Amino acid sequence: MNFDINTIIYFLEIVVGGLLVGIGVHFVPVGGAPAAMAQATGIGTGTVQLAAGSGLTGLLSAGLMMSVTDNIWAIVATGAVGAMIMMDATMLTGSWIYAYAVGAPFASAKVNYDPITMYSQPPYVAPGTVGQGIPTVCFVSGTIGAAMGGVGGALIYYPLVLINGNPAQSAIFAIGIFFVDAVLASWNIQGTIEGFHDPKFKKWPAAFKACLVATAILGIVAVLITPIVGGA
Amino acid sequence: MDAFGMGLCAAMGALATVAGASEDIDSDIGSQSNPNSQVQLAAQVGNPHRIYNKAIAGEPPSNALWCTTAAIMAYMLIETFHMPALFAIASGAALAALFDGVMSTSAYFGRSASQARFNQWIYLDIVRYTTPSIMAHVWITSFCITTIAYIQVYVLTPHHPFPIPVIALIWGLTVGAIGSSVGDIHYGGEREFQWRLFGQGLNTMLSGQIVRKAEAGLRNSIDNAWFCAKFGGPCTGMGFGLTVFLDNWRTTVFDPVTQAGAAIAMGCIFILIMNLYNFYCETSARRKYGPYPGYKGDIAA
Repeated sequence: MNFDINTIIYFLEIVVGGLLVGIGVHFVPVGGAPAAMAQATGIGTGTVQLAAGSGLTGLLSAGLMMSVTDNIWAIVATGAVGAMIMMDATMLTGSWIYAYAVGAPFASAKVNYDPITMYSQPPYVAPGTVGQGIPTVCFVSGTIGAAMGGVGGALIYYPLVLINGNPAQSAIFAIGIFFVDAVLASWNIQGTIEGFHDPKFKKWPAAFKACLVATAILGIVAVLITPIVGGA
Repeated sequence: MDAFGMGLCAAMGALATVAGASEDIDSDIGSQSNPNSQVQLAAQVGNPHRIYNKAIAGEPPSNALWCTTAAIMAYMLIETFHMPALFAIASGAALAALFDGVMSTSAYFGRSASQARFNQWIYLDIVRYTTPSIMAHVWITSFCITTIAYIQVYVLTPHHPFPIPVIALIWGLTVGAIGSSVGDIHYGGEREFQWRLFGQGLNTMLSGQIVRKAEAGLRNSIDNAWFCAKFGGPCTGMGFGLTVFLDNWRTTVFDPVTQAGAAIAMGCIFILIMNLYNFYCETSARRKYGPYPGYKGDIAA
């Protein structure tokens, strides 16, 4: 491949995409296994799995858009919207189960009042639990996190396709970078977080540094890879 | 927008709904994912049980594996041997189900055997009649998702640039993430602990005290599937169906080349509606259920 100014731009896009994924994970309200037992606030699954599910749905949308246009803004926005749709559909259907099957009101144990709706939280936290369900602040935070994940995934995918011209290879590489950053962020929050109102959210600079280093290394590899079959 | 594209979009939504529901019921029968922690703990706190216990991996990676396996075989049969799509996809799904059967059985044996010191038995009758139902559900999930990938790559315009296995990998991860986030709550939060007070999450003190008796006899995993198929499964299906349908609908109705802005704006409207709907759910649950009676703090409800 030829090394020119475009190579540096591609590299920077990949690094920014990785950082967005890493920070976006901090916004996604995941409660891990306890949340599946309505024992903790948030979505009842692992951080990486949910972030990957939404970010990669965004990657599918971005890949489709990139096959018909070269406009980076349309590609990135489509990726964000695809990821947000997946995340919101998941949180909404999860809320139905909390509200209509478990029969519990939504409450966060990390704040006394929901910063968005100003609803009081402690009276609605069930005894022996640390909250349950997905209050509005968590839902909005999850939507923001999904948008960042979707933008990040699309920003990693876009330069890769321009470099090697092979959508399949680029998608797999983007999935790999996505997972690395999501796992680093997940370690930083120790597996669970409620969203931007959670005190753990203040730890994001540590994940930022770790993702910067990891994505920079992966970015160098990414701009050097050559197409396996076909390609530009 | 053309009627054919809209029909395909609706078919993909329907397939996704079925895939989501069967994925969740598969995980409920096998006690995979989050509720597995309680099934695993039960024997250790003195409650040996007859619940199937497989945790091959987290739901997203394991479903990604099944769907990709099915998609790779289907892709190979279609591209290399020019087989009819339906036959190729069904064969791929059968291979995925066989893989799942092997891993489920070894997971059940391994997990139960490791708990022999807690008096947990290996029940061969459970292996015999529960494993085929797990495999059947995996067959349905991987068949539906490979069909969605096939439609996206070969039929729906614009054709998706990713090959079938990559799309199946991504949709497999997504359906697993949704099944793990949505359906598991019905199984873990409600079905496993039906004897505690209704209307609250699981008190930490009750961890591992899962229900072991069924409506008749001892409870097994088929009883759990019967219960979760009423609400948890359909909700998971709805979550995945909405994701696939809404995401594809906006690029089918609006041409992504000339009307990209409209497609993105439509997606934003969906997102806004879902945010407002969740706010309605929260407000309605708070109003109907009220605060917990034992609360002694000084913050007013």
